[in-house]
Amino acid sequence: MKSLEVQNNQLFDRDATRFLEKDEFRNTVSELMQNGSRMIALTPVDKSDPQKIIAVLADSNSSNIHIAGGNFSDGKLEFESWANEFPQTNYFECELSENYGYAPVNHPWLRPVRKQNVILRDKPYHFFKLEGEEVHEVAVGPIHAGVIEPGHFRFQCHGELVYNLEINLGYQHRGVEKLFLRANPNQRIILSESIAGDTTIGHTFAHCNAIESLSQTQLSLRAEVIRTIAAEIERIAMHLSGLGGAANDIGFALPASSYGRLRTLAINSLAAICGSRFGRGLFLYGGVRFDLNDEIKNTVTDNLKIIQNDVHQINEYLFSSVGALSRFEETGIVKKDLAQSVGLVGLAARSSGLEEDVRNQFPYGAYRYNPISMITLSTGDVFARARLRALEIDETLRFIFDQIETLPQGEIKSEVGNVAANAGVVSIVEGWRGEIVHIVFTDGNGNLLNYKIKDPSFNNWYGLSLALRETAISDFPLCNKSFDLSYAGHDL
Amino acid sequence: MNDAIKIRILQGDPIIHDVKNASLPKLFRGLPSIEDKACFSGCNKCQEVCPTNAIKLNPVSINLGLCVFCPLCEETCPEKIIHFTNNYHLAVDSKEKLIVIKQTKTVSPEIASEKIRKYFGKSLKLRQISAGGCNGCELELNALSNVNFDMGRYGIEFVASPRHADGVVITGPITQRMTKATEICYEAVPNPKIIILFGACAISGGIFQNSKEIQRKFLEENKIDLFIPGCPPHPLTFINGLLDWLKNV
Repeated sequence: MKSLEVQNNQLFDRDATRFLEKDEFRNTVSELMQNGSRMIALTPVDKSDPQKIIAVLADSNSSNIHIAGGNFSDGKLEFESWANEFPQTNYFECELSENYGYAPVNHPWLRPVRKQNVILRDKPYHFFKLEGEEVHEVAVGPIHAGVIEPGHFRFQCHGELVYNLEINLGYQHRGVEKLFLRANPNQRIILSESIAGDTTIGHTFAHCNAIESLSQTQLSLRAEVIRTIAAEIERIAMHLSGLGGAANDIGFALPASSYGRLRTLAINSLAAICGSRFGRGLFLYGGVRFDLNDEIKNTVTDNLKIIQNDVHQINEYLFSSVGALSRFEETGIVKKDLAQSVGLVGLAARSSGLEEDVRNQFPYGAYRYNPISMITLSTGDVFARARLRALEIDETLRFIFDQIETLPQGEIKSEVGNVAANAGVVSIVEGWRGEIVHIVFTDGNGNLLNYKIKDPSFNNWYGLSLALRETAISDFPLCNKSFDLSYAGHDL
Repeated sequence: MNDAIKIRILQGDPIIHDVKNASLPKLFRGLPSIEDKACFSGCNKCQEVCPTNAIKLNPVSINLGLCVFCPLCEETCPEKIIHFTNNYHLAVDSKEKLIVIKQTKTVSPEIASEKIRKYFGKSLKLRQISAGGCNGCELELNALSNVNFDMGRYGIEFVASPRHADGVVITGPITQRMTKATEICYEAVPNPKIIILFGACAISGGIFQNSKEIQRKFLEENKIDLFIPGCPPHPLTFINGLLDWLKNV
């Protein structure tokens, strides 16, 4: 085998990766993608030795993760770009190029990922520009009209229609990956809670899974189930927020404020479990900090019962409104083929008909024993992305009620071992947006050597860009909300 | 129409009427209290576990501006000296008041100047700047406008343009790449104007305090009017901070 094959959260030897000669490396990765694998990371194993890189690919059909290594020790950091044949690698190559100076030859559109005012291929980078009569440009951000994170958007328009939307991010860059390498274990958990504050549990879940795999820590079933319950409550809260946002963006006040009220119930349930409305403080290495006693179980169940009852009626009201449907349907379409070729993940991918759900395909935690159904829709428009949220809330509620009823007995914390030396692990989690990846390598003393994070937003920002093509610019807020992507998670 | 009425009836009366005395979940971590007891000699466990260096010893004090309200110090202290109470009244108007010591039972901001109260006491429009915030603080600020907290009833609102604003609310540690935008935005706000820092990152850099990617010069050069501690702060902490400061109610 030219590439290393591992499972989600499987500890492997750092030396098990074979670093192939450049051309062989390129062909190996191409072959893997040809066979249906999707790129989830392109990074050096050791940040101080950037001449040896790995491409990590996930195969959703076989649940295997492939790691192919490339050796660029001859000093020339160049390789023939994959992006013309496999557009999904486009952004990963841009990232590698920006961080480590690699030059992907014949890359179709090398752009900055997190930096501004950069020089690419010896020229200052300029935004893509459309020229011609009656063509105009709209620039928005970094500070937007609402209370949201910063990012810069350049629209090339002809009248009302958007021809191209270029998204320039990086304003939120806080150096999270670097801080991980210096942080002590207590700080690492707080850091992972702050990668994307709306996906606190998703990212902390991925981080804890990674460290627990590296330290061969076995969790109690009870702790695993409490973790998944919290993760699913986070999903409900943010899906409600997304539905409320979509209703708000079409000026439909009653459902918007109703979803807002239900979201409060969902995040207050998290506060009942652990004291924080976003689930901060719940996770620790080896389990969870707070148990689900009967009183908390009742509070959570009562809150979720209200959500279950009310959300049905509100959904029916929203999705039977002709006005709402005319705004949602056939707006911001990303077709299945396109979604697949650019490598969308999570909610956006499933709305376009792709079967991508880490909980089913790379099960972790309690999802290994208690499956949850994957739901897909096919139209890939704002309607699908909104409707899918509504359907997923239903399924998630069913799942949580099941889990609470059959909560296993046992301890909630296990003894944590020492982090293995010279090891690596790939940890994938399905956050509410989609696939979260944390890849960790350790050095000879068990200290972290490299910490690579991929938020689902990294894949999906380009999807938003594509959804806007040939769409009226006035529909941008609605399309944006239907993806609801993270700036902080992308920028790190 | 009937459906709309049905949905409206479902809403019930979700608003928190008494924002000063609302009850929060038992486990909510608000103002820490430090018991008047001596530490074990030489014990510095709380300081060691604190992820953001918020704790000082001899005597024990906690800096609310650095604290991310994780339960580590509380669960580590062998003498149970530190305990997080349910009190969500945390806003203060000076850096000194952020330090909680043994004698601290409550914290509150000094009442704003006559001028500020005359200008903003009945109507305060704020422009939010997210400068590296993880979206936790932003979500809580957005929650202020929902039907539960409904901050608009006090005449306090977020506006789209800094030109329409009376001040800025900053979240996040201020990244290198947001320094320029933060300055431009603040400059665009007409005088008199206020600055509110929302959350540990904005007040002190929080968990990102040692990152090379942040640049906090703006905060040193300008007067800060209100500090809202938390990670993220509870919406009620923000409302009460402003109401106490403006003596609005």
